[in-house]
Amino acid sequence: MAGQSNLQLSVFSAAEVEFLAEDEQIDIVPNVRMDTLHMICGDYGPFRPQIPVKVPLWLAIALKKRSKCRIQPPDWMTVEKLTQVLEDEREAPREFQPLPFHYVEISRLLFDHAREDISDPYLVRSLLEDIRDVRFHKVESGLENLSAKTHAVKLKNLAAMEVNIVRPFIVRALQCFYKHDSEELVKQSASEVESQAVSSDRVPRRTLRPR
Amino acid sequence: MFGRRGAQLCSELAQNDDERLHRFDNDLFEHVIEEANEHYHQLETRMVKMQQEGLDIETTQNRDYFGALIHHLSLIRNKRCLMSYVYNRSQSVQRLRWQLGAVLPADLQDKLNYSEIEFFKNYSELLGSYMTNIDLDLTVDSTPPKDPYIQVRVMDDLGEVLLDDQATTLLRNSIHLMKRTEAEPLISQGLLEEFIG
Amino acid sequence: MSSYYDLDDLLAEEETVSVVFRVAADGVGILDPGSEDNNVEQGAKVDVPLWLAQDLCQRQAAFINLPGYFSQRVRKEMQADPGCVDIRTRCPYFYGVGCKLVPITNDATLGSFLLYTLRGRYKDILSKAHSAAISSTPKVMQILSREETMLFQAGRDSMTAFKRWRVEGTRMERAAVLGKKRKSQEL
Repeated sequence: MAGQSNLQLSVFSAAEVEFLAEDEQIDIVPNVRMDTLHMICGDYGPFRPQIPVKVPLWLAIALKKRSKCRIQPPDWMTVEKLTQVLEDEREAPREFQPLPFHYVEISRLLFDHAREDISDPYLVRSLLEDIRDVRFHKVESGLENLSAKTHAVKLKNLAAMEVNIVRPFIVRALQCFYKHDSEELVKQSASEVESQAVSSDRVPRRTLRPR
Repeated sequence: MFGRRGAQLCSELAQNDDERLHRFDNDLFEHVIEEANEHYHQLETRMVKMQQEGLDIETTQNRDYFGALIHHLSLIRNKRCLMSYVYNRSQSVQRLRWQLGAVLPADLQDKLNYSEIEFFKNYSELLGSYMTNIDLDLTVDSTPPKDPYIQVRVMDDLGEVLLDDQATTLLRNSIHLMKRTEAEPLISQGLLEEFIG
Repeated sequence: MSSYYDLDDLLAEEETVSVVFRVAADGVGILDPGSEDNNVEQGAKVDVPLWLAQDLCQRQAAFINLPGYFSQRVRKEMQADPGCVDIRTRCPYFYGVGCKLVPITNDATLGSFLLYTLRGRYKDILSKAHSAAISSTPKVMQILSREETMLFQAGRDSMTAFKRWRVEGTRMERAAVLGKKRKSQEL
């Protein structure tokens, strides 16, 4: 029983996806001297002032909250990179640009806890919002062609949070189409025109690759 | 008649979108049982009549047979409605244990019927002893934890409470820093609220 | 096969349909308000719940007349503009009832009509589910069947949850079963 996430609707709540994202590694620049931390998930440190070191995001945030470090935003979180991504997203209406699997959660956590470490925060944030909007639009137009012949939906490069948002809808929609497009329900007389219109969906699709 | 009340019983549950638990509808529940008994009685009357007429119940398909059939189907239908009502409520009763702990507030307890209260107690004990065995409280951290300590605001005068093995007086609207695992059940019960900012 | 305990499945079977009895049945007169004794005669046209009609039709003890919401008139309406047809007031379990009628009706086009209806309305549900405002109940919901509403809400609820997470993050909540928060006295 996963607490407050809605069991019928989705496997994960947004908070749970965020929790998973906190395991991603990020660079911090400590301003204190501290010995190596021995954790179940690995050893981190030693920490020396002004010497960058890689730690999981949750640890970075914990140290940041106690003013023990500065967080170095990842490379993709710069105005230059994001402008390029946004442009590419707009130019390729059927593809998703490769962004980190947890880009939505990571950027939100950094804006919450390390805003002053991000250069040009306003622009970065609005670029991220735009990128997410463009991408979500693509997801929606992809879903318009759903039918019972859809064995799998190919959404390469879609991020964790994006998948999580559409998962409940897709699952339900597929269930509906699967039920109503079955042979027991739709007898031979089903209009041929209809089935040809959706023939593009019958192209064998690769199943989603496990990450 | 013919299952209408049974469906009425279930539609009360189905319309319940906001996860609130309604009072167990004893009257309607009893009515449905009565109706089922009546169908059983009618079914029996038809069968006895056929037997008295010397007919083979297995193969004869006369007016009495179809009358009996309809009563039989109605009986099964009513049973399904009753079972579904009890089953779906039992799911909610289980959720109560996870959300509110082993002791139910009086107004919620009033909404359960006797068997449901017994079920809650037994389920609660079972879950409790399982958690004792594995030495883990499975009901905490229903949202992923950030810090071991959180700030909370007290919603009501709660008097003296034992927190972190220290007696603390919780007054309405006061703000406290406490262990997340200790705060969580109290937040879920609506006695505290997580204080942000 | 749907679940025995499933409330929506159970309630879909409660919808009334009209059947004509091929046989007579004694002792069930209350089904037929026109009956003077306690019996239903052969050839009598009777409104019964779907769960009863299903079984009687499968045993060839009755045949079914499709409900008005599957009539040619409604089908034409649906072909003209599927997104605007008010299904909800006609039958909240439109698809559920339809699916259960397919095996017991002679009308071979019912199944494809249901699929056609779903396809026609799906895109509208898809776009509105994810774009609808959080607080208000969108107009489109007033004409959706129960099945469509659940699809719509699946999309809307996860989008709403995401937007909440983005704006205010996560906090622990009071259990929903306790109902709305009492208005505590303001300081």
